[in-house]
Amino acid sequence: MRLPSPRRWRAALRGGPTPPTSAAPGRLVPGGVVPPETAPVGDVGTIVDQATTSDRPWLVIVWNDPINLMSFVTFVLQKLFGYSKEKATTLMLDIHTKGRAVVSSGTRERAELDVYRLHEHGLWATMEQSG
Amino acid sequence: MSSPIKRRRDGRYVLRLDANARVVLANLAAQLPEALASRDPMVRRLFPPAYTADDQAAAERDYRELVDNALVNHHTHSLETVVATAEADSLSEEEFGAWLDAVGTLRLVLGTRLDVHEDMDAPDPQDPMATEYGLFVFLGELQYLMVEILTDDLPDEGRPEGAI
Repeated sequence: MRLPSPRRWRAALRGGPTPPTSAAPGRLVPGGVVPPETAPVGDVGTIVDQATTSDRPWLVIVWNDPINLMSFVTFVLQKLFGYSKEKATTLMLDIHTKGRAVVSSGTRERAELDVYRLHEHGLWATMEQSG
Repeated sequence: MSSPIKRRRDGRYVLRLDANARVVLANLAAQLPEALASRDPMVRRLFPPAYTADDQAAAERDYRELVDNALVNHHTHSLETVVATAEADSLSEEEFGAWLDAVGTLRLVLGTRLDVHEDMDAPDPQDPMATEYGLFVFLGELQYLMVEILTDDLPDEGRPEGAI
């Protein structure tokens, strides 16, 4: 399967263009930060808070599961993220021994695409905002 | 002993599997699309949550709405590819990828039904689950060998954007 780019992945799955509502004010989008449209002049604190919240990266976490083979997990991390065998093996062992590991991070859309690709491969992946 | 799976010079994959194993695999693969389409509880392991925090319930509903059909279509296509090519002498790269996906999907479904856990002992041969456990082990061996071949073909480099 050909993978859509992060900014288009929702549109690709839905079979239509990305709804404009996905670009919330202050949210990082390709090309810069979406300017707030309705924030009143002088309400800088609110804008800064929104920007800070959406700037915090989302972490993609893979959890240990008793079914997937260790070599399969390593292979999927190499294939999806381009990690070296050494790096992917270290992450796999973290997952195996510590129960979970952060395998990628980025914008919410990027993280959601990564989670989806991991789900396609049968890995137990979730996402959460750092901080 | 050499691996029963080879990647030929022309890029096609050859699996040395006996006829019985091929029939078993095709039968297993043929059963799952219906369970996927009806979202039978036995396939629940194929739809893990993306968002688990209490305050992300709406995001999780949105994610499910977005991806569940795509996951069903993806796995169904792989399973149907296995059924269609179960007797084939060789597989294209795309077909081989579909086999890997289908084998992994079947393992997850069987493993969930068997409540597989690490360091689990094989069930007693008299156990009604023994046959299914045998299939689970067979699929694991197949997946292991397929991953071994595919790993050899991966470039061992790269720190892409977004990598940690």
